[in-house]
Amino acid sequence: MSDQPLNGKVVTSQLIASLAARTALETPGVLRLEPTITGFVARLGPAALQNLRNAGSQNGTYRHDGVAATISDGTAHVRLDIATDIAYVALNVAEAVQQRVRESISHTGLTPGPVDICILAIEPRS
Amino acid sequence: MALGDIPRLGCGRSIDRIWATIDQPPTAHEQQCEQCQTARARLSGLNEATRSLRESDLRNPSLKAHPGVTNAIMDIARAEIRRSKRIRLHSTVNGTTEISEQALSSIIRFAATAVPGIHSRRCRIEVRSTADNLSATDNLSATDNLSATDNPSENTGTTASTGPHLIVNLRVAAATGIDIPRTVDALRHQIRNAIPAGVGITAGTINITVEDLYDV
Repeated sequence: MSDQPLNGKVVTSQLIASLAARTALETPGVLRLEPTITGFVARLGPAALQNLRNAGSQNGTYRHDGVAATISDGTAHVRLDIATDIAYVALNVAEAVQQRVRESISHTGLTPGPVDICILAIEPRS
Repeated sequence: MALGDIPRLGCGRSIDRIWATIDQPPTAHEQQCEQCQTARARLSGLNEATRSLRESDLRNPSLKAHPGVTNAIMDIARAEIRRSKRIRLHSTVNGTTEISEQALSSIIRFAATAVPGIHSRRCRIEVRSTADNLSATDNLSATDNLSATDNPSENTGTTASTGPHLIVNLRVAAATGIDIPRTVDALRHQIRNAIPAGVGITAGTINITVEDLYDV
């Protein structure tokens, strides 16, 4: 048996953001998450390193393309900017995303807080 | 920089002006003025070097952005425009739902394409909160109020949650020779159905202005 202490796993805001993004994209009627300048710059290179260093603390906010997650006192707050398929009712899609993301968060052991959705575009699926 | 700080030749012409017109033939004054001619001759060398560098950069494949990068920048630019004005649709303890004015406009424009003889132009959307409507007419429910505000006889048969009261201001161009009142009614009907079907809220007031005619 090792004498090395076991590090406790911490659910970070980055993990919550990633979980929320994946859950949103799996929801029928969601076409994509809308990109942001920060997300783009992070993909370009040097800033990506900075982004990795700030991978998201348990109390900080993590932002990436179309998703921002904050953890505060064990509660996760998520914001998503989405584009929806014109074949679906956008408000219903947003509510489904909200419900699914809250459910996903609850599986991490954190308390799901508000999940704010902004529908930035409604387009036909190409 | 103060006006007096602009570098000038002895004849009073500013160097900036000569530089700005270096690609054009010399003016009558410049053809006569020795100082202007000297300045033009020296600046034309600089102009040539600048042009050569600029063209070299344009043709240099290593300086060309990858198509993926260009597309990503354009996607961000579009998304930033969409982020400019948002309308709150729904708010509960579980979170809020907002929609960008651009997304809502796209639904309206898409609906307008189904009406022959109409080209949609500028679309502005204002919001009156349901609370405002209720305070104005205490005896009406939110749904009653929405339908009472705009054409109470019309029933689209579409069910939707009420949300905010939208005031859609759409400007259009109409084809010459069409029956404008009938076409505009058809357009309003189309929009009234498209908003609940696409967004999930009632359409509210739809103001349509025919601001131009176009030949077919």
